[in-house]
Amino acid sequence: MAGYFENGPGDLVPDALSGFARAHADLVAHDPVDGFFTARHSSAARRVGLLSGGGSGHEPLHAGYVGAGMLDAACPGRVFASPHNRQIFRASGAVAGPEGVLHIVKNYTGDRINFGIAAERLADAGIACARVLVDDDLASDSEGVAAGRRGTGATMLVEKVLGGAADTGMGLDALAELGTAVTSRCRTLAAASAAHHAPATGEPAFGLLPGELEYGVGIHGERADRTRSQGRVGALVEDMAGALLDALRPGPDDPVVALVNGLGSVTSLELYGIFGELGRVLDARRVRLARHLVGNYVTALDMRGFSLTLMVADGDTLDFYDAPVRTPALSW
Amino acid sequence: MTTDTFDGLRTHDWMRRFAELVYATEAELTALDQQAGDGDFGTNLAAGVSAAGPLLDRMGGPVGPAEPLGAMATAFLDEIGGTSGPLFGLLFQALSRAAAGSGPTLTTAALAEGATQGLAAIRRVGDASPGDKTLVDALTPAVAALRAAEGASPATALAAAADGAWQGVRDTASLTARMGRASYLGERASGIPDPGAVGVALFFASANGAVRALAPAPEPG
Repeated sequence: MAGYFENGPGDLVPDALSGFARAHADLVAHDPVDGFFTARHSSAARRVGLLSGGGSGHEPLHAGYVGAGMLDAACPGRVFASPHNRQIFRASGAVAGPEGVLHIVKNYTGDRINFGIAAERLADAGIACARVLVDDDLASDSEGVAAGRRGTGATMLVEKVLGGAADTGMGLDALAELGTAVTSRCRTLAAASAAHHAPATGEPAFGLLPGELEYGVGIHGERADRTRSQGRVGALVEDMAGALLDALRPGPDDPVVALVNGLGSVTSLELYGIFGELGRVLDARRVRLARHLVGNYVTALDMRGFSLTLMVADGDTLDFYDAPVRTPALSW
Repeated sequence: MTTDTFDGLRTHDWMRRFAELVYATEAELTALDQQAGDGDFGTNLAAGVSAAGPLLDRMGGPVGPAEPLGAMATAFLDEIGGTSGPLFGLLFQALSRAAAGSGPTLTTAALAEGATQGLAAIRRVGDASPGDKTLVDALTPAVAALRAAEGASPATALAAAADGAWQGVRDTASLTARMGRASYLGERASGIPDPGAVGVALFFASANGAVRALAPAPEPG
């Protein structure tokens, strides 16, 4: 049993949302009916509202990135379940700018359908809406997977870059194009030495033997196509970074942004060790590591694992990434 | 009570008859969905018409045909979980939008246009094509029938749409699902018509007050 600290079954998410609303009342407002968060501050130059959302359990994604310079709204669903189209529709109406609203959607069937229904409602209501689908997970990159790559760690990087771009007054279509282009230059791989525990049952989502590693795990505990032995972290990071670089093939002058992300139960001690290993791999391959983040940014409840995301920040991407941001989970 | 004119009152009555038909067949729809889906379709459809009930009740005074359809759209889009209920909401929304442009009575052209737009929206959202064993398989021939009925009265056009939808329902029984929950069952769900397709047929069939057998008996195999 995981022993989640909660009042009772089903209380985990609503209790967390009201606590979050109080903790960050200076930055976000919480809609009491539909449960979405909106930013209290936003650049006057912004012409498009930025909105994301998805199942809970990935905190600080997405509500942690609501605020000046990043998202205008986030719609949390229940644990690992898409938000309802009504939440998305109403939040979109609340934050749409003069040029409409952009949905940043992780590539999962439920999210695609619910955001899609909301988009049809927005069109009916005369509010312009476009979508960026984030599909960065290298492990689900296979011809045989009709649903396509899953959306994972890159989501917060895409949200940050689009936030910076939106604050320059960029229009809806240009933002959608930029988001799609940035996504195509991001790849992520995750590995876990233990599954997360389902809040409803307290049981682990899958079982691993001691020393085994789920290589390519998803942020909802989707199984990888293989397990491997855990071994030394240096060799593991070298394999993961090598696969990402093979997929992205950055040029020697391309700035690369690295995200070393904890999935819930990995310590900071380990994450910094992993970042050190990643830095050595990138140096050896003469990759220009321009920016980095180390911490818990896109989690999977209490999964004992981490993900590595690399983003090739060509064009203006690095400027948009560097632009000021002030949200509950990211500020500079 | 068949008149050939679909004013606000008659459209209101159509929605009422659809609700009655859904309540009457909820158990059968659930049984179908238990064989081919996750078993909640009948409940979701009933929840949708039930949520629409108070909105339809509150509709005082003269209304156009867009209002009852709009009430159904709001109920199905706002109040129903899962995905199949809200997808029906998109059909109602498009019909309501087209009805709003067709004046005090529904025209066959407005029905055809609304159903066409609704089908397009459902296909965009669900990424489903004809042959995937979804409600698209009933809505596609219904739309074709409405478009072919140009010049006919709305009542005649809707009867033709119901016939087309039922044919689509029969076709889904021989299909293997590619989308939706039934896709996990593959061949095991063949022989069973798609409940969402049945729901579409019930909607068009209720326009003329017709109550038909819920669905053809599954073919053996």
